Amino acid sequence: MRANRARPRVAAAAWIAAALVISADLYLCIRDPRDSGRLLINAMLGLSAFATLHARLLSLASAGFAAIGAYASAILAVKLGLPVYLSIPAAALICGAVALVIGLVVLRLKDVYLAICTLGFGEIVRVAIILLPGLTGGPTGANLSTGFPYEAMRRAGPASIAIVLALLCYLFWATSKSKAGRALRAIRENPEVAQTMGIDVVAAKNMAFLASALIAGLAGAFYAHTVGSLDAGDFKFGRAVDILGYAVLGGSGAWFGPLLGAGLLTALPILIRDGLGSSFGFLKDFAQLPNILSGLALMIAIIFAPGGLAALFSRPASREGERPAAGAGNAQSRSSGTLDTAPNAVHGPLLRISRLSRSFGGLKALSEVDLEIEQGKIYGLIGPNGAGKTTLINLLSGLDAPSSGKIEWLGREIQGRSAWRIARSGLARSYQHAQLFGEMSVLENVAVGLHARLRSSLVGAWLRLPSFRREEAEAMAEALELLGALGLAELAGESAEALSYGDRRRVEIARALATGPRLLLLDEPAAGMNEVETAALGRFILGLKERGLAILIVEHHMDLIMGVCDEILVLDFGRAIARGSPAEVSRERAVLDAYLGSDS
Amino acid sequence: MDLSLLADPGFLLQNLVDGLSRGALYGVYAMGFTLIFGVLDILNLAHAATFMWCAFAGWLVMARSGLSLPFGLAAAMLSGGAIAVALEFLAFRPLRREGPAGGAAADKLSPMISSIGASIIMVSVAEACFGVETRRFPDTVLDPKPFIIKAAWGLRISRAQILILAASVILMALLGLFIRRTRAGTAIRAVAASRKASLLLGIDVNSIIVLTFLVGGALAGAAGILVALLTNNIVPGMGSQIELRGLAVVILGGMGNVEGAVLGGFLLGLVETFTIAYLPGGSDLKDAIAFLILFLMLLAKPDGLMGRGKAERA
Repeated sequence: MRANRARPRVAAAAWIAAALVISADLYLCIRDPRDSGRLLINAMLGLSAFATLHARLLSLASAGFAAIGAYASAILAVKLGLPVYLSIPAAALICGAVALVIGLVVLRLKDVYLAICTLGFGEIVRVAIILLPGLTGGPTGANLSTGFPYEAMRRAGPASIAIVLALLCYLFWATSKSKAGRALRAIRENPEVAQTMGIDVVAAKNMAFLASALIAGLAGAFYAHTVGSLDAGDFKFGRAVDILGYAVLGGSGAWFGPLLGAGLLTALPILIRDGLGSSFGFLKDFAQLPNILSGLALMIAIIFAPGGLAALFSRPASREGERPAAGAGNAQSRSSGTLDTAPNAVHGPLLRISRLSRSFGGLKALSEVDLEIEQGKIYGLIGPNGAGKTTLINLLSGLDAPSSGKIEWLGREIQGRSAWRIARSGLARSYQHAQLFGEMSVLENVAVGLHARLRSSLVGAWLRLPSFRREEAEAMAEALELLGALGLAELAGESAEALSYGDRRRVEIARALATGPRLLLLDEPAAGMNEVETAALGRFILGLKERGLAILIVEHHMDLIMGVCDEILVLDFGRAIARGSPAEVSRERAVLDAYLGSDS
Repeated sequence: MDLSLLADPGFLLQNLVDGLSRGALYGVYAMGFTLIFGVLDILNLAHAATFMWCAFAGWLVMARSGLSLPFGLAAAMLSGGAIAVALEFLAFRPLRREGPAGGAAADKLSPMISSIGASIIMVSVAEACFGVETRRFPDTVLDPKPFIIKAAWGLRISRAQILILAASVILMALLGLFIRRTRAGTAIRAVAASRKASLLLGIDVNSIIVLTFLVGGALAGAAGILVALLTNNIVPGMGSQIELRGLAVVILGGMGNVEGAVLGGFLLGLVETFTIAYLPGGSDLKDAIAFLILFLMLLAKPDGLMGRGKAERA
């Protein structure tokens, strides 16, 4: 709450800071029009770094891609006689092709590998430029500057760069308002949970890396034609750090962040040099000043303001939620809510687990468990802490792979399949420790669950086609309906972070339902709820069963388990020690033993 | 490929020696890098800048004060340890907001970004202090005349190479003993395995992290002064030349694997040296080899040759 009261002051400070940055940049541009080209190109490079950072990727390749873009476009224009305006997009496409190769190799691995690979990539591009003097003119690019059409470019350059930059900004804005934007924000907060919402995280990261490379290539090409002569030294590691600095200082949460970051970090060294240079002579020739400022900006921003400048503007989430809620009214009648449509009937069991085992080193978290789940039934999974319940749920949802055994889902084996595919095929889950996307509103959280069921393409979102707008409105209406069904409608606009523990769990259930599941895995859904809430949850779960969903509940609240379940499986030390109806299970000697002295 | 070279055992042996001494340096550098990664699960991208500053520190002690190599080595290692510990306090610890065990799964990007910032500051300050001109050791410190072992087909081994090989092997052995045999080393391995469990077992995780940075930084320092002796070429940009190689070595050996770093170091050193020697135009390719190895390893076996399966899918 205290943070909320401080908001207006922070936002005012942010606006003042932004105004200062913009006026400083305008001053530079008026004083020397050549600086305007540099500013615009840096802003574009900032967007390139933002594209990756926003998807939680640390790429140091922007300078390398800019180098490829610059040299490719210069070579195409000067040596092959391609018109300048064609050489620029062509160079960007070359960068895109390189990015695809790198991305396909590296983006399947952990985060650090992209940083490592792109760091090396940046170096190797520079080495290649130096080693191919026939093509690139060697370290100083001498023979590329002859006959360069940069006079014309100098006149029309900044305007054309500004147009392209404005177009890019629009695309970033439009993307952020679409399901792709929600997916990226979800990945940014928690890639694992994003996967279980049916989001193909690797593909999304590849797209982000590709976009980053294309934009860096464009910026590099514009640079080549604006400056008119190239030098491999323009693209060394220091440059990569500057570019990263634009996005980090500006903020990787909102698309306008890198513009501010680039504006500040471009203007600051020039202003310091000119302003203080007369009193402190050494500043006049202090060539390292921009790099030192970038380094300081990186450290200070990441330690003290991880969201960068853009985060200071961020509105309270409630305003974000109002817009779709208001438009939802008229769409509601048309929406085919998740809750109304029963899944198609299937013959035989939905899910069949046979001899499923998972060991971590010497520890057998799960051994030889069998289970069959049928449509329209509720299954309870109980057992003491560490019995392997969450392990089983992780295996089913594809977040973990079994050591041995089979998982047959809708008649096909799915063990080892990626989590997003499993989620899309109708197997949804909630988490033991509520894993909402804290930076989003409650409504947006549920909308992320709808991701895989929304049809409109990114291009549709960019053109803001009627079909896209309609689908978005319908999606928001459906998300609101789901929240309403769980009694959360009035919280739709709240920031997910601000919710109580019990409310978070219910939002998680709404989000999982939004994926349109046939089987819902609930990992301790009633944790943190009081008895009244738990009873309401029980009624809600029974309602889902009537609509034909299958449900597997892990729970310690025995009232809930005994009240709703058709069949119960009891695990202890990874083994199934009992199964049957609630009445049968509660009579079993082994179950009583396993529970003796435990928390229930 | 020049086939006549293949038949020349002297040439082969010469390259073997050159490759091993080069690889030993990569190994020493990468050991510190991978040690820090193993314990904190983050890349310290300021390791190369630490390496460079230590080369200057050693050079200052030896060239300016005229002291001998042991003093230079000690100065480099001490300053390396000090710089790395300073980095831990300024660049890394402020990011571990939830205490020593926190942020384990959460955020790996922030520490990398912070260390990139630190790195560029360190390099820029060095450029401002020392300029871009090359510093060399005076002949009094480093007798440039190589030994020539006539008996063995005119093998030329420089004083520096012998020093480097000896120092590297001793450092590798000492680190191995430290990690495997001492109490502190055991604690380091425990923290690397699980920070949370170590905390619960009463290990002072923050102190162990500081110790890790101290040791890792000292190794960067040793690598710095030894590389400076081998190349006799000290510039603020020298870190960028070993940075990529260090990363390739760490990937080769498996991230966080100290023994792997030694193996990877020798392998990269040998591959580089032999490519230069036997492949026409090989010396041009020299700088690309590390990246090629890095990329191919990520493609084929991202866990490294001695990996423990840490690379898993994202």
